[in-house]
Amino acid sequence: MFEQDDDIVERMIRQLRRPVSIDPGLDARVMGEIAAAAQPGKRRTWPWLAAAAAVLAVVVVTRPWTLDPGTSRADAFQFVLVAPQAASVSLVGDFNDWDPARSPMHTAHGVWATVVPLAPGRYRYAFLVNGVEWRADPAAPNAIDDEFGTPSSVVTVAGRGS
Amino acid sequence: MIIVALLLATQVAVQDPRLERLDPETRSSVIAIVDSAREMGLPSEPLVQRALEGATKGAAAPRIVAAVRRLAADLGTVRTVLGARASTPELEAAVAALRAGASVPVLASLRDARRGPLTMTLSVLADLVASGVPPDSAAAVVLALAPNARDVDLVEFRRAVERDIALGAPPAAAAAVRVNAGARPGTAASRP
Repeated sequence: MFEQDDDIVERMIRQLRRPVSIDPGLDARVMGEIAAAAQPGKRRTWPWLAAAAAVLAVVVVTRPWTLDPGTSRADAFQFVLVAPQAASVSLVGDFNDWDPARSPMHTAHGVWATVVPLAPGRYRYAFLVNGVEWRADPAAPNAIDDEFGTPSSVVTVAGRGS
Repeated sequence: MIIVALLLATQVAVQDPRLERLDPETRSSVIAIVDSAREMGLPSEPLVQRALEGATKGAAAPRIVAAVRRLAADLGTVRTVLGARASTPELEAAVAALRAGASVPVLASLRDARRGPLTMTLSVLADLVASGVPPDSAAAVVLALAPNARDVDLVEFRRAVERDIALGAPPAAAAAVRVNAGARPGTAASRP
């Protein structure tokens, strides 16, 4: 029975840990819809113009030509820890300056989760349970060079297209 | 006198406010290491993060300073191997591989074998060792995969080895079997 439960939890974790990918064209489409909705009389006449303006706005704001080819914008990563007895869990790591206040995790029936945007790179991280107990991520490789006497894990994010 | 004042002002300006979480003595030691690393063209962010990790984990000052100093030295070592154009993630992954037991010649071979970013290749090497694969075996299999495997293939390979180990396979054998299986198209080490 417990093995079945473990299996279910493991499958839930695998699903929850799948990277959340957001269509890069989403901003453009949303802005296009907003622009069209703001001008109901012209919606049928100029939808392409609104969309083009939105795309231009997105391009100007994000300035993709300034991105290094070896890097790309951050993808959202979900971190999950099963800790039914915990009162609080924080995710801390190289991506949030090891600040427990930056990435508090939220629970549903003892499964704690949070989503963090990560640019390509290798990050050390750990879970801080109840503000005092350090735990490595059981679903990720361990950091082998722990120098502070507490467990840590690592996540490596590949660049797009690599 | 004016130049000295300007230099001091610049020094204060470039100090990272995040380091204020360290006690004054630790902070001055870490800043000295970071400044020295920066002068050598090494990235400062990994050093800052290591210091912050130590501070958050409540490590003693000497331990934090030693960890940051050791990381700076290792970043210098791998930068010499990978070259001045290596990215910060590549250098960090190379340090992890180095600490996992990969020798400098192995890092150089990986650099020569793989076109494109080395971050994932080096990370997988370190992660395999963390899973129990002996460093020499991990280096051999990653070197075998490096020329042609994509990053996603390397990640899938690592996961497959970890699964096999969790099921009871000896780590070295798990890595060897998976790399041999990956040599044939459509098998487990290839992208599903």
